[in-house]
Amino acid sequence: MDILTSIISLGFFAQVLRLMTPFYLGASAANFSERGGVINIAVEGFMNLSAFSFAVISILTGNIAVGFISAVIINLMFSLLFGYFTVKLKINQIVTGVGFNLLIAGLTKFLLVYIFSSSSNTDRFEGLPDFTLLGSIPFFGVFLSDYLTVFCFILIFLSGYILFRTRFGLRLRSAGENPQAGETLGIKIRSYRLYGILICGFLSSLGGIWLASNQNSYSDGMVAGRGYIALAAMIIGKWKPVNIFFACLMFSAFEALEISLQISGTDLPSQLIQMLPYLITILVLIGFIGKTKPPAADGIPY
Amino acid sequence: MNRKSLINLISVSLSVIVTLLIIFILLLILNKDPFLIFSKIFSEVFADGYGIGQTLFKATPLIFVSCGLAVCFHASIFNIGAEGQLNAGAFVTALVALKLDFLPFPLLITVSLICGFIISGIFGLIPAYIKIKKDVSEVITTIMMNFIILALVNFFLLDFFAVKSTMRTEKISANFMFLKMEDVIPFFQGSSLNISFLLALLLAFLMYMFIYKTGFGYKLRSVGFNEIASRYLGIRTNAVIMISFFIGAGITSLAGMNYIFGYKGFYEFGFSNNIGFTAIAVTLLARNNPIGIIFSSLLFAVLDYGGLSVNQLVPKELMLVVQGIIILSLLAVDKLVNNYFRGKIVS
Repeated sequence: MDILTSIISLGFFAQVLRLMTPFYLGASAANFSERGGVINIAVEGFMNLSAFSFAVISILTGNIAVGFISAVIINLMFSLLFGYFTVKLKINQIVTGVGFNLLIAGLTKFLLVYIFSSSSNTDRFEGLPDFTLLGSIPFFGVFLSDYLTVFCFILIFLSGYILFRTRFGLRLRSAGENPQAGETLGIKIRSYRLYGILICGFLSSLGGIWLASNQNSYSDGMVAGRGYIALAAMIIGKWKPVNIFFACLMFSAFEALEISLQISGTDLPSQLIQMLPYLITILVLIGFIGKTKPPAADGIPY
Repeated sequence: MNRKSLINLISVSLSVIVTLLIIFILLLILNKDPFLIFSKIFSEVFADGYGIGQTLFKATPLIFVSCGLAVCFHASIFNIGAEGQLNAGAFVTALVALKLDFLPFPLLITVSLICGFIISGIFGLIPAYIKIKKDVSEVITTIMMNFIILALVNFFLLDFFAVKSTMRTEKISANFMFLKMEDVIPFFQGSSLNISFLLALLLAFLMYMFIYKTGFGYKLRSVGFNEIASRYLGIRTNAVIMISFFIGAGITSLAGMNYIFGYKGFYEFGFSNNIGFTAIAVTLLARNNPIGIIFSSLLFAVLDYGGLSVNQLVPKELMLVVQGIIILSLLAVDKLVNNYFRGKIVS
């Protein structure tokens, strides 16, 4: 009964919305890349990279603004490299993504030991401050106390607007649906694919920054598959910003549930609770959605 | 040697050189002496029978897992779930070996390995099914399966089978342990090298024959090369994908053999130490060719053991960076080399 009451509380919903942030940032990131026709399974790695660089640079400089900006810039540089591999050299996007994930995982582990002489985590630091402007609003304030969470709500409409209502979005989608047709209309397909990848790098860096900021430190493996769950949310959400948002809400609800169950100390084994989001993903993919239809030229080098 | 393998050889060696250069520069930036570190790696590894034996021992599971992945990759199935699959298989292998200890030696080994193979294979069938029925890329699903399988193994191990306050099963009887190489060849004195290594070499050879010289191997490569064309040829592509996923995932379970029968005598959670991911790099470097896998596994084993030996000078995690850079430089160099040679033909 205790669990039930804790679930229906306001705090639980606030928790769900908060935990939705990295999922939605990662899923939107991947969506921009895939709408442009590039499968980017390195979202996991990119989130890891920015969480790491944000934490480390913030600690070393003592200034989170510097950490924030450097984390975004480092991610954009890696995204450019990813773009060089997938768009310029036309290498298999999935293999490239796996390579980036392995490289970034290795790099962060190595530098973590090198800089902090610890194989598990960095020192603690002060994360992003709370967003106070809307936080004072009664009732809704609880949901809006985090800059990046608020940004997510804006992003739902912003990404929908950009993708479906602007010239840029139309051209980006043409790069993902039918690049040959786009090219004959004079669209620089490769540039648009690169733009998609760069937006992906930017949004995934925000996801990583949120994780490190939320935990006030970086620890090895802290992304813990959130990048992959974000990709799953994007697939379940069928590449549409609003649907993706609800898919992310589902995953964050399970994560919040997992946390409340652990706090309330149930008899359920923790391993089984931890695997819930992944199990749900597989089940959803097996049964509850129809055939998913990615952008037609998704994953095909051009 | 034909032209294609010459180009392959050029790009593989070039990418290894590029990787070494990048690592060299990285070490210089970090103010470490690259010459000292590289020379220490090679002197430790090739100093004595122990170093060589340990290196071959570390190469053994890589060869097994990579051979499994090669089957998948040839069918254009990008199986990233080896880490989970091999753990499930190895866990079951150890359990069966513990429960059926009344069987004679060869039978027990065979039965337990087959059980492990089937379990790993079944876990490979789930992503295959989703890929065929729902058109969802196996990349996502195999990654999800990794998390699920590892959680399940952890749960069953800790709640039912583990020795108290450890992460491992009971030890199997010493009668069932494999022969250690040091008992036959004193040169390997002290190392954990056992006959699993020879079995790994045998498997690599068999997989080479299977992939390149059998009818099914032909269908497999055909589906991997062009699925639609294969369908018009009358190949039942979905069946080929299911079977190759089953075989590929199943083979990864053999990685447990080296640890369970050859080394410790029990299954321990975390024994795999991300072999499932390292094997992806190994397989790509070998061009999915099982014979090449032997050599790239040896290279990675040298890095692994060498990394341990220079841990005082530079964190051993450096070798993870090397693995990542090797994959990426291989991809880029290969493309550039191929473009270069194609340019030659045209002009």
